[in-house]
Amino acid sequence: MTPIRYWTVIAGSLALLAGLLGLTLAPAETCLSPFVKRLDKPEKYLYVFCVDADAKDNDFLAVIDVDAQSPKYGQILYQLDLGSAGNETHHFGFTDDRTHIWGCSLFSNRLFIIDVASDPSKPKLVKAFDSAKETGLTGPHSPYALPGKMLISFLGGKDGGIPAGFAEFTNDGKFIRKFELPEEAPYGYDVAINPDLDRMVTSSFTPPRNYRKPLAKMDLKQFGDKLLIWDFRGRKLLQSLTTAAAPLECRWSLKKDAKHGYVNCALADSIWVWEGDAQNQYTVRKLCDTGKLPVDLTQSPDGRYLFVSCFASDEIQQWDVSDLKNPKLFSTVKPGVEPNMMHLTGDGQRMYVTNSLLSTMDRSEDFWVRLVRIGPDGMKMDPKFNVDLTKLKTGPARGHDMLMY
Amino acid sequence: MLGLGLFAALLISDAETDDRQDAGPTNSRLAIIRTPSDFTLTTQDDKPFRLSSLRGKVVLVSFVFTTCNGTCPATTHRMVLAKEALAKAGLLDKVHLLSITLDPARDKPAALRDYMRLYDIDAKHWTFLTGSQKQIDKVLSDWGMWVRPAANGQLDHPSRVFLLDGHGRLREIYDLQFFRPRWVREDVQLLLNKVSDASQKRLRPRDASTKRR
Repeated sequence: MTPIRYWTVIAGSLALLAGLLGLTLAPAETCLSPFVKRLDKPEKYLYVFCVDADAKDNDFLAVIDVDAQSPKYGQILYQLDLGSAGNETHHFGFTDDRTHIWGCSLFSNRLFIIDVASDPSKPKLVKAFDSAKETGLTGPHSPYALPGKMLISFLGGKDGGIPAGFAEFTNDGKFIRKFELPEEAPYGYDVAINPDLDRMVTSSFTPPRNYRKPLAKMDLKQFGDKLLIWDFRGRKLLQSLTTAAAPLECRWSLKKDAKHGYVNCALADSIWVWEGDAQNQYTVRKLCDTGKLPVDLTQSPDGRYLFVSCFASDEIQQWDVSDLKNPKLFSTVKPGVEPNMMHLTGDGQRMYVTNSLLSTMDRSEDFWVRLVRIGPDGMKMDPKFNVDLTKLKTGPARGHDMLMY
Repeated sequence: MLGLGLFAALLISDAETDDRQDAGPTNSRLAIIRTPSDFTLTTQDDKPFRLSSLRGKVVLVSFVFTTCNGTCPATTHRMVLAKEALAKAGLLDKVHLLSITLDPARDKPAALRDYMRLYDIDAKHWTFLTGSQKQIDKVLSDWGMWVRPAANGQLDHPSRVFLLDGHGRLREIYDLQFFRPRWVREDVQLLLNKVSDASQKRLRPRDASTKRR
C-alpha cells in the first residue's frame, strides 16, 4: 500500500467514524430537528420561553440553572427581556449550529433571534421582527433548523385566516421563500423531517382568528385533521392523510431504519401513527387512546417509549410502542395541573415539564417548571426540582417551550 | 481564450434559463438564498484566487482545517464522493470544488498541498484556499460560518457545504446528513438545467401516483 493510499484509508476510516458518531448522537434530544448539533455533555442551562401572564410586562426568556453540581441548581439565573409584551411567546428552536434560538410568538407574529453561544448564562436578543410583513403568513409556530437556514411553520395566512404555510429564512433572519398550504388541507401546525427518507411531515391546528378567542368561543369546526407528507428536498406535497381532529406534534420514530412516526390528536385524545411502505407511500391510523387533551409528544432516544402530556387530565403518560400493533401504557405521573411542554435530555433520563398551553386555554394560574426522572420502571417526579413562575418581580409568567445548553 | 469565454457564456445561459424557471423567492426547488461577497484568497500553490473567477460554473464550497479530527475528514470524504458522482455524470467540467481553511495560522499552502495528497485530490477541479486571519474571518462572517476553540484543543465549527450557481448565488446548504453524492449530482444538474431523461422518468410514476396540491 502506498503512503498516500494508506493515509486515504486512515482518513476514510476517520470519516466513517465521524459519520457514525454523528448518527449516534443525532437521536438525542428527541424533539429537535435532526440538523441541530446535539449537546455532548450534561445540560447546564434550561431556557424557558415565558409569556407575562397578564400581558402587561414584557415577555422574556428565563435561564434556569440545571447543573446538578451548582449551588444555584433549580433557580432562575437570568431573565432576558424580549422588549415587548403580549406576544404569546410559544415555541423555540435552535439553529443548526446551536448558537442561536429562534422564538415564535402566536399573537404578535414576532420572531426573536437570541444568541445563546456567546454567554449561555446570559443570552442576548439579536433581532426581533414581524414575520408577517415579508411572508404574508401569521401565527409563527414551529422553528425548525435546516442546514444554515430556519424553516418556520405558521398557523395562519393573511389576516389570521387560512391557508397557513411555511417560510424559510437564513439563520440571521433574511427571508428566502414561503409555501402556502393547499386549499384541501389549509391548516398548519408542526413540521418534522426525516433526511434519510427525504420526507417531511406537517400537521394541522387552527388559525389565529380562532385560537385568539377564549377557549369557550373557539369554533371547533375550524381545526384541521390532516397530516401531510412532503418530498422534503423538493418541498412538494405528495400525500394528504386524514387523522382525527387537531394532529399536533410530529415525531419520526427514532428506531433504526424506521419509516413511521407519531402525532398526538389533541381534540380526539389519541396518538396516531403514520407508516411508510417500501415505495415510501404512507398510511395513518390510530395507535392508542390517551388521557384528555394530549398536547405534547416526545420519545425516548431508542424510540421504544412515547411520552404524552395530557393537559386536561393533568398527567403525563409513557407508552411502550415497541410493538406498534400492541402499544402498552407503561407508566403515568401527575406533575401538577395542566402539564404541557416536555423536554427530554439526550440520555433519556430527565424530562423537564412546563404547564402553560395558550393564555386563551390555560385554566390555572399556578405556573411552574418541574422535572420527571425516567428509569427502567418508568417515570417519577423529582420533588426537589420545582421552579415557581408565579412569584417573579413582574408577576406570574406562563412558561411554554424549553431548550437546553 | 475566446473559446473559454464562449463556453462560460453558454454555461451562464443555462443558469439563466434555470433562473427564469425559478424566478421568484417562492416555488423554487433551489431557491436563491443570498449572494456571498466576492473574495480573494491564496491557493495551495500560493497563488491568488478570486471567487468570481468561477462565474459560469457551479461551485461547492466547504470549510475545513487540515489538523481536524472531528467532522472535517467526513466532509472532505463526502466531497470526494460527490466529485466522483459528478465525474460519472459527465458534469465535472462544469463544476469546481473549493475548500477554505478554518485555521489559516497553521494551514499555509504547503499544509494544504499535503492535505490534498492525503486525499488524492487533483487540483484541476478542486482548490484549497488560505489567507490571513483577517481575510478568513471576513469570509467566515460573510458565509455565516464561525470557528472557536473547543475544549479538546481542536476547533469547533459548523460542518456545512455550500452550493453556488453560475452567478455566484447561494442555492443550497448541506450538512453531513444532507450531503449525499446523488443529491448533490441532482442539484448540480438542476442548476445546469440538464436533468437527464432517466431522472425525469424515474420521478414521474411517484408524482403521478400521489395526491398533489
